[in-house]
Amino acid sequence: MTGSISFENIEKIYGDRVLLSVDSFTMAPGECALISGDNGSGKTTLLKIASGLLKPEKGIVIKNQISLPWAKAKSRLQRLVVYLHQTPYMFDKSVYDNIAYGLRTAKIPKAQIDEHVWRSLHWGRLDHLTHRNAKLLSGGEKQRVALTRARIIKPGFLILDEPTASMDRRSRQQTYQLVRQLQQEGMSIVVSTHDIEPFFDIIDHHYYLEAGHLHEIDIRSRSQRKKHKTVVTTFQRREN
Amino acid sequence: MQDLFAAIREALVLLFSANPELWEIIGISFSVSLQAIIYITPVSLLFAFLLAYGRFKGQRFLISTMHTLLAVPAVVVGLTVYIFLSRNGPLGDLRLLFTQTAMIIGQMILAFPIVVAMSHSVLRISDRVIWETAKTLGASHPKAMLTVMHEVRFGLFAAIVAAFSRIIAEVGSSMMVGGNILHHTRNIPTAIAMETSKGEFAQGIALGLVLLVLALGLNLLLGSARYRLETA
Repeated sequence: MTGSISFENIEKIYGDRVLLSVDSFTMAPGECALISGDNGSGKTTLLKIASGLLKPEKGIVIKNQISLPWAKAKSRLQRLVVYLHQTPYMFDKSVYDNIAYGLRTAKIPKAQIDEHVWRSLHWGRLDHLTHRNAKLLSGGEKQRVALTRARIIKPGFLILDEPTASMDRRSRQQTYQLVRQLQQEGMSIVVSTHDIEPFFDIIDHHYYLEAGHLHEIDIRSRSQRKKHKTVVTTFQRREN
Repeated sequence: MQDLFAAIREALVLLFSANPELWEIIGISFSVSLQAIIYITPVSLLFAFLLAYGRFKGQRFLISTMHTLLAVPAVVVGLTVYIFLSRNGPLGDLRLLFTQTAMIIGQMILAFPIVVAMSHSVLRISDRVIWETAKTLGASHPKAMLTVMHEVRFGLFAAIVAAFSRIIAEVGSSMMVGGNILHHTRNIPTAIAMETSKGEFAQGIALGLVLLVLALGLNLLLGSARYRLETA
């Protein structure tokens, strides 16, 4: 099983503006962490750094108690973490080919790919869309393809950036359901969202990003749980 | 005006009468230009990708240079290649002057900045999310690069078509380094130039029509491929 990955004293700077300054953030195997925060608070920046897609100006990455330089950390993170964009990009291919992409990249034999893809299509309730061009799907369907495409390569960590943004209620419900299934299958998940409540009962950690600074809200103690709920309620009110 | 119509009529007769000399010229033209574009395309696309996605010193200078090279006349390219390949030139021992290989080299040099500059523009505005999605799904750098290129393939194809159209119609370089030798290095543009100077307009017009039909065909092909994608 993949060990924890910690990020210490991470800083991302654009021009002379410090966009992100995180003292400590850990992704632990089998856990689900939720990151909330206002727009522009640095959620996407943090998640892209955590998936090795964006280089921080400062900070260290620790894996298995070993501190890694960014060049090494980057390739490890890209191997272990799958990052799902807020609006997932669909390759200009069929749904089948999109889902098979990661397996083909890993040079898995064709027969095995076929078997895995068909099983995954069924998991994502995408059987009826198998041969459709993925670019022409609705937002909810694209998100399901993206989740299935990520799940099939069995990543150590799955990072979801605002997975339900600009979706209708039905698509949101389907996405929650798939994320729950992933969590039950034991996948390590980090999710950033404004829509906190549906994830309330599956998360192990709740982080709150405020102007680039990350605070963990301890959801285990009664008083902190109350605070966590307050944050949740405030967000729901803002959303509505 | 009557002369023009008579010349066009004669040109059509020449084209459809399977005149062997005319079709040989057309064959040489296609053979040389297709080889040039096939050899130079992979290098140009890779270079364009590095300019669009890489971060290195001198990048801006190289981009400006590519755009400047777009304006270099074919005859200047021809002259440069001529100097290199002439008997006293640095590559004179290869004895390539007045051969199809020399014409291919000249056309490759002409096509390179066109494919690079146009592909660079296409790749630079392509969605960075394509690269990130490919990388996060485990693609190596070359595989992610090919994925990005596949996603913007119509733009890249248009760049290649533009370069091909330029080189198959250029006369300066082919004339200088090919020498317009019948059965060997006479292609459509050099033949048109020669026939026109002799006052033989019919053959010139016939060859010009071939170039026009080619341009139309390539554009129709590109348009239909794009249409098929959009309505898939």
